[in-house]
Amino acid sequence: MENENNAGEPESTGASRRAFLKQSSVLAAFALTPPAAVHAVEKGLDEKVAVAFEQQPLRVEVNGVAQQLSVEPRVTLLDLLREQLSLTGTKKGCDHGQCGACTVHVDGQRVNSCLTLALTTEGSKVTTIEGLGSVDKLHPMQEAFIKHDGFQCGYCTPGQIMSAVACINEGHANSPDEVREYMSGNICRCGAYANIVEAIMEVKSKGGRI
Amino acid sequence: MNPFQFTRANTPQAAVLAVSKESGAYFLAGGTNLIDLVKREVVIPERLVDINRLPLATIEETASGIRIGAMAKNSAVADHPLIKKHLPLLSMALNAGASAQLRNMATVGGNMMQRTRCPYFYDHSMPCNKRGPVQSGPSKGQPNGPAGCGAIGGVNRMHAIFGTSEKCIAVHPSDMCIALAALDATVNVTGPKGNRSIHFAEFHRLPGDAPQKDNTLLPGELILSVDIPKNELGKYAHYLKVRDRTSYAFALVSVGVAADMKGKTIQDIRLAMGGVAHKPWRLKEAERYLKGKEATLENFKQAATLAMQGAKGYGENDFKLTLAPNSIIEALQIATQTV
Amino acid sequence: MKNEKNPPLDRVDGRMKVTGGAKYFADFAIPNMTYCVIVGSTIARGTITSVDTKKAQGAPGVLGVFTHQNMPPIPGWDGPASKQADGPPPKPDTEEKYRILSSPKILFDGQPIAMVVADTFERATYAASLVKATYSKQTTRTDLEKHKKDEITPRGGDYARGDAKAFESAPVQLESEYTIPIEVHNPMELHGIIAHWTGADQLMVYAKTQGVNSTQQAMAQAFKLDPKNIHVHTEFMGGGFGMGLRTWPQETATVAIAKKVGRPVKLVMHRSQMFTMVGHRPYTAQSIQMGADKNGKLVSIHHAATAETAKYEDFTEATVNMTKFMYDCPNVSTRYRLVRLDRSVPIWMRGPGEATGAFALESAMDEMAHKLNMDPIEFRLKNYSETDPEHNRPYSSKHLKEAYERGAEAIGWKDRKNEPGKSKEDNWLAGYGMSTGVFNAFRWEASARVVLNADGSLVVQSAVTDIGPGTGTALTMIAHNVLDIPFERIKVEYGDTSLPKAPSQGGSAIVSAVGSAVFDTCTKIKNDLFELATKAGAPLAGSKAADLSIENGNVFISNDSSKKVAITELLKANNLPSIAQTADSKGSAELEKYSMYSFSVHFVKVKVNALTGAVRVTKAVSVADSGRIVSPKTAASQMIGGVTGGIGMALTEEAIIDHRYGRFVNNNFADYHVAVHADVPAIETIFIDKPDPIINPMGAKGMGEIALIGFSAAVANAVFNATGKRIRQLPITPDKVMQEA
Repeated sequence: MENENNAGEPESTGASRRAFLKQSSVLAAFALTPPAAVHAVEKGLDEKVAVAFEQQPLRVEVNGVAQQLSVEPRVTLLDLLREQLSLTGTKKGCDHGQCGACTVHVDGQRVNSCLTLALTTEGSKVTTIEGLGSVDKLHPMQEAFIKHDGFQCGYCTPGQIMSAVACINEGHANSPDEVREYMSGNICRCGAYANIVEAIMEVKSKGGRI
Repeated sequence: MNPFQFTRANTPQAAVLAVSKESGAYFLAGGTNLIDLVKREVVIPERLVDINRLPLATIEETASGIRIGAMAKNSAVADHPLIKKHLPLLSMALNAGASAQLRNMATVGGNMMQRTRCPYFYDHSMPCNKRGPVQSGPSKGQPNGPAGCGAIGGVNRMHAIFGTSEKCIAVHPSDMCIALAALDATVNVTGPKGNRSIHFAEFHRLPGDAPQKDNTLLPGELILSVDIPKNELGKYAHYLKVRDRTSYAFALVSVGVAADMKGKTIQDIRLAMGGVAHKPWRLKEAERYLKGKEATLENFKQAATLAMQGAKGYGENDFKLTLAPNSIIEALQIATQTV
Repeated sequence: MKNEKNPPLDRVDGRMKVTGGAKYFADFAIPNMTYCVIVGSTIARGTITSVDTKKAQGAPGVLGVFTHQNMPPIPGWDGPASKQADGPPPKPDTEEKYRILSSPKILFDGQPIAMVVADTFERATYAASLVKATYSKQTTRTDLEKHKKDEITPRGGDYARGDAKAFESAPVQLESEYTIPIEVHNPMELHGIIAHWTGADQLMVYAKTQGVNSTQQAMAQAFKLDPKNIHVHTEFMGGGFGMGLRTWPQETATVAIAKKVGRPVKLVMHRSQMFTMVGHRPYTAQSIQMGADKNGKLVSIHHAATAETAKYEDFTEATVNMTKFMYDCPNVSTRYRLVRLDRSVPIWMRGPGEATGAFALESAMDEMAHKLNMDPIEFRLKNYSETDPEHNRPYSSKHLKEAYERGAEAIGWKDRKNEPGKSKEDNWLAGYGMSTGVFNAFRWEASARVVLNADGSLVVQSAVTDIGPGTGTALTMIAHNVLDIPFERIKVEYGDTSLPKAPSQGGSAIVSAVGSAVFDTCTKIKNDLFELATKAGAPLAGSKAADLSIENGNVFISNDSSKKVAITELLKANNLPSIAQTADSKGSAELEKYSMYSFSVHFVKVKVNALTGAVRVTKAVSVADSGRIVSPKTAASQMIGGVTGGIGMALTEEAIIDHRYGRFVNNNFADYHVAVHADVPAIETIFIDKPDPIINPMGAKGMGEIALIGFSAAVANAVFNATGKRIRQLPITPDKVMQEA
């Protein structure tokens, strides 16, 4: 989709919205008077109209599963995962990129899903804690967190683990101090840091990408 | 967040057109600051133009130095062999900012566009001149919170000691920009009226009477790249960031140093400070003083004294009048390996 | 029951937690879910003059906007409330009454002025932003330092023993003042609730509570329901640290709104609201007067504390209590006062009161040791209390001397120079500090149900919530120790009101309380098995129960293990699919004869950059004297967690108010600095691990609180040792430590 347009005019990715506009010239008048949904409602239009205005298609692969979704532009990847895809392993701790509880991988890179608009992941591969390993087949980092008791309440744990895996793969786990620095974006209020560092160093010592 | 439209741009020209034709449209790069601002209703966009797919992420050596694409991620720049080898100060400054996750998201262009972290800026119920009047959105025409500067006479421990105005004493939060200021970078932009280059010292501005303006970009202008000239300042570099916790915190004071040394003599040096002004604060006086001098504690103290001329505290941040020169001395000692 | 040291056991819920499978309250999906967002006041004192909800009500997906003008009534609000019920019990002497969304009166910053419900989180959030209020603002009083003169004396009164004037004639005198700022629990999990009316008088609640029974009770009172019609579930809780020890008004309001809306409602609060709606550690100013003779024997201690509370509720904690008994000192007095401010009410935060008091007392002990030119440990040993001088009775157990010794050895105390500012490391100043912590060891009443299945597996049930310390793991260990059933065959079910009643998780009391219940219940099962094994016709018929043991799935004669019968056989032979037992457990009157405390000693090594004022804790050793350690692995994690919290308390944590507005300016995770990875070194934990003979059958005392209590003083003492600078105001930030170049 992103290569359709080379002429300089930015393309709206709202395919359903485009189709909708073709059907309705009345609504087309509102389209350039955003926020469209508010106006639609103020005019007493049916709420479904507003939804059609607001939602745009999103194709994204989550934990190996291709998803074809329709989401509002303002929906974050975090809320999409939790509220629409029922992947509640990823946690909301601050919603402002200040705690790391929502850390997931987008195309292999660790990011804060709370500051990532879902639509910006179009065509990407997203991995969450649910895609890393399962109760029956744990990822080595999950094993190490259990072995070293790298958590207490467990709430920051999915984010810590996703971040820890990336920390090693980025090449930033060469010493305990380096791990401490590069894991500082993941706050643990129970204070399991010392054990988390041990877990990461152990996985790192086994070598290779994980 | 308010409802807004979302558009993906495939070329810089398309992005510029989309943002300049519509008030309330913003470029969306890494989003680490913009989405936060939208969530906090400091920015109420009508359209976000996603520029993440623009081919502007290259980091390359040019005839005159190194060029970094505006969409290069902070982490990619910090870890890039060219940057680590030739511009270690930039690498250190980048790694001193935010968290690994945020650095994976944040871009070089976006980092330059960061808004202040002043709490009054974010709280609509408290005074701030920096928000300016709301131009668009559902609250169109309404003042976006009371005018005034909450920080003057308020909680200003984190605030500026240089270049302040009666309207604003906020500081620029970036670490990366301290390095770029020290390294004499140039910012290449494109806009409705074409391309131009802005010297880094001219990119950010002091608050003056218009604190809502952080920089000198014109409406619709998009950052394409940053050029950093070749230099011999790679070997003796240090970025010192003094903060309230060991990592993942904004600077109380930061100091970027890059020097060229011959024996104990400082051949050339660049110095800039963060956490002290509305823009990255270059220490030209101190640089001039140190050039050609021995790397000694006495000379560093004198340089720090020169750097502090014109500094002014606002109460809670008075400690910066001591912390800043101390940090300059400490950073110089580490960079020149004289400790 | 074995009375040996327990082996390390992996956290029994570990797999659920590392895979994202553990469901916290907000993770539950219910069809037709709606989302609630709270709008908070922007003033700290005054009256709402108008609240405009028209735009919000018209926004897409909005199902209701609730303000003081249309909030559905909560029938039990003003009935006789218990201390755990919604809102405080009405007290004749408090100045104000707070009932959420019931009046235009504003009593604190961030007080809810509207609750907005919509069909998606995004829509609820946006609609909430459209609610606009105007206020008539009144003078705001939020600064305790400015209003100390308005102090009130809470219940409990002052304490004194000995001669009140002893200080005046003491040869060595110390007078110091200490403050701790507002600290906020800030568990990683945001607070909130899912309220789901499954019938006209049937309520299902997914809560963030440290006690499901307490939430159930609060809801029953608020909605005048039979508690059995209220089902509360909190199997996993993303940290509490005390903030989940009561049901907060917005939880009750969400339940009322869910009834009105007719759909399940999920409230997940914003991080900034965690600063104003779910309690905090109160700002507290303290002073200590300490007198000693020249040989280092304490002559007198006077400890005074003044803490903030709300206008609408008096919150008190045991800030000065430790001073009454910690040291052997003949003349001791304490004084505790409150100042009612335009602030939301505090609540216990990890190491409540004692952590605040210990910062002052243990800093003062260090200051006095310095004045006396004594080693701080030697000074403490000189004034060691062998028996409790406050109550004149013995301690149930106290191995604090051993804790001092082992901690000192582990940190390398012998390398410490008593004169400050004399050690350097990597061009930074280096120093050592230590302190003591103490907290009551409780034995509360609790019950448990245990089911032994015919296949030899065991199910242990209790309503208790596990907020993180590893309660499930500890209960597994206790059951294992009584019945010797393999760990992997024991399942602990907890955090649900359908299970036997348990106290709220707090006060470091759960292993003692619920653990005893599990112990007693498992013992009943063991006795049942012994009876089955010895009854007429049974394999061990003729033997006495007292002569039997249980091990490896067999009941056998203790001195002849060849005479045995498998547990599974016993159940099979008796046609029993399972044996179930329930027991209540509480301490005997014997406990009254003792003072029961857990003790800790903290040692830290710091390095300090004199120019930048940066302080790094480079090594920490914490020693716990908390009886027999039931689950060493999770207990060690609790200790390192306390140390980590202590580093934050000492160096970084402070919620800052602009007193002109009465509003927080750092109510987020970027600016309210809890310790991050880089702040925390490797931590050594040491357990004395000697069973307390009095408190409970396991001999276990609590340790969640002592892991934190005192730690901040150890850091302050180390900073003094490194620099010669005594910091008496927490947190110890660079601006307070740096020295002129």
